Amino acid sequence: MCSYIWNAWKVVFVLLGGIVLFSCSQDNVDLDQLDETFFVRHKNADMPAYVKGNGTDKVFLVTLHGGPGGLGLGFQGPAFDQIEEDYAVVYFDQRGSGMSQGNYAEDDVDIDLMAEDVLALVKVLKQRYGNDTRFFLLGHSWGGALGPATLLKNQSDFLGWIDVNGSHDPKGLYFEYIRNFERIAAEQIELENSIAFWESVYGVLSEVDPNTVNLDDFNRLNRTAFDAELRLRDDAIINDPGNGGVKVSDYNPLTFLWNIQKIQSILDDDTIGKLSFTDRLPEITIPSLILWGRYDMVVPPFYAQEAYENLGSEEKTLVIFERSGHAPMFTEADGFAKEVLRFIDQHK
Amino acid sequence: MRLKPSLLLLFLCPFFNTGYGQETTKKEATNTQLPQHFFDRTEFKVGYTGTIFWANGLNLGAEYLLKEKRKTKDRKRGERTNTHQFLLNGNLAFTTNFANKTDTGLLTNVGLIWRRTNKKGKQFSIAVNPLGYYRSFLPKTYEVNGDAVDKVFLPGRGYYAPSLSVGIGKQRKGKRLTGRYLNVNFMLRTPYNAGALPSFSLQYGFRFHLKKKK
Repeated sequence: MCSYIWNAWKVVFVLLGGIVLFSCSQDNVDLDQLDETFFVRHKNADMPAYVKGNGTDKVFLVTLHGGPGGLGLGFQGPAFDQIEEDYAVVYFDQRGSGMSQGNYAEDDVDIDLMAEDVLALVKVLKQRYGNDTRFFLLGHSWGGALGPATLLKNQSDFLGWIDVNGSHDPKGLYFEYIRNFERIAAEQIELENSIAFWESVYGVLSEVDPNTVNLDDFNRLNRTAFDAELRLRDDAIINDPGNGGVKVSDYNPLTFLWNIQKIQSILDDDTIGKLSFTDRLPEITIPSLILWGRYDMVVPPFYAQEAYENLGSEEKTLVIFERSGHAPMFTEADGFAKEVLRFIDQHK
Repeated sequence: MRLKPSLLLLFLCPFFNTGYGQETTKKEATNTQLPQHFFDRTEFKVGYTGTIFWANGLNLGAEYLLKEKRKTKDRKRGERTNTHQFLLNGNLAFTTNFANKTDTGLLTNVGLIWRRTNKKGKQFSIAVNPLGYYRSFLPKTYEVNGDAVDKVFLPGRGYYAPSLSVGIGKQRKGKRLTGRYLNVNFMLRTPYNAGALPSFSLQYGFRFHLKKKK
């Protein structure tokens, strides 16, 4: 009996040992084919960075996901596969997002702290890959607010800023939603596309407060914006974005959902209807690339023009993707990758 | 407001029925004499624990029998005897996400199990583990303080992790492996990102005695 138990324990320890060894990552860096995950510990948060792609040029594209509360690896797909062939891409789960964990008070969290987290990530990347490493910063949606917040603290580390459907002005977004819905609804009804839906959008607009930002109404408009993009896809106005490149095993959905609800509840009060970087965009002077979907209902293309006109960069480019909404990296992947690669090639 | 007394009566009616029903059923409950030896009262367990797609691992544990009661009821189909047990429960589990290693952790907890076993050996159990500790293990981690970047030794975080499990099982009397179980576990990890992170997991495994029972 004792030998049976002893053998069972041996099996258990061998299994546990194997799991622990399997869990420990190697310290060698193969710049040709980077594929490693490490955490950045900063101000009571541990945030994972997933570094993938070709780092031989030591050029790293640091990405900031949307949300707040989105997924760092949510960018993965055909466009970023192409970018990874030439350059290293850093996917980063922001504080309170994805697989980030930590112990901090709600009151401590704001966009300033999250911008400091991004700068901490850059310090870690320099430590890991060398001080000669060069960086580009790319922000999508909420990442388009966090990006300017980061660059306004320190843009000297970055060779360029890529703004993808970025929300640099959550303060004005509520009212722009209303204007954009009116514009697109009229256009689509004239084209006889999903008439019942677009008429229902008018119904939503009649029920929200047109003069004062209301968080519940904002959330309603935001949900309607995502629904509208599904209609535009069904009516073949924008391309099908597919399912994206996040693997089922990368994120536990319950953790993701809990995190996104938590971080949004923390940040929404100080962001929606209040936060705006429009007046400070002239302070960002590094080369900038602005990429936007023509039919972005979530952060309307008005902000593409506003970013282009206000950024202080001498070298700036605005590209509108005609068959895209809020996620041109999925709906026009080849064109998106081409523009990003051209920009990095030009300014690296 | 007037509806409330009538609603209360409606609500109580089923209990009156149950009460009358019990009068025709003979109930008998006896405490079982428990063995003296620690190993006779303790079942060990080993099994899978995890969330299938995200984190998978191994659970080791022990269940020490505190109290056992046999309840016999006369029913239309004959006499029915169920065994009700209270057990002290202890677990040590390790899980990891093999895909990206961002969800690796060691859990230990202590609590109580209530278990009912019917005459066919089918079991239903509820485990409450109010004392739980979860230690996450992170891959390479760099801590940033100002301009200083330092590699963290044994990175991870500790969480208070109470849990609740509900499960079914099958008793195998007189066998070396005394039973198997399938539990659904709900656990909270706190403080986690300014709150308490809920998580669900599955546990499937086997219980065994160190001494073969006769």
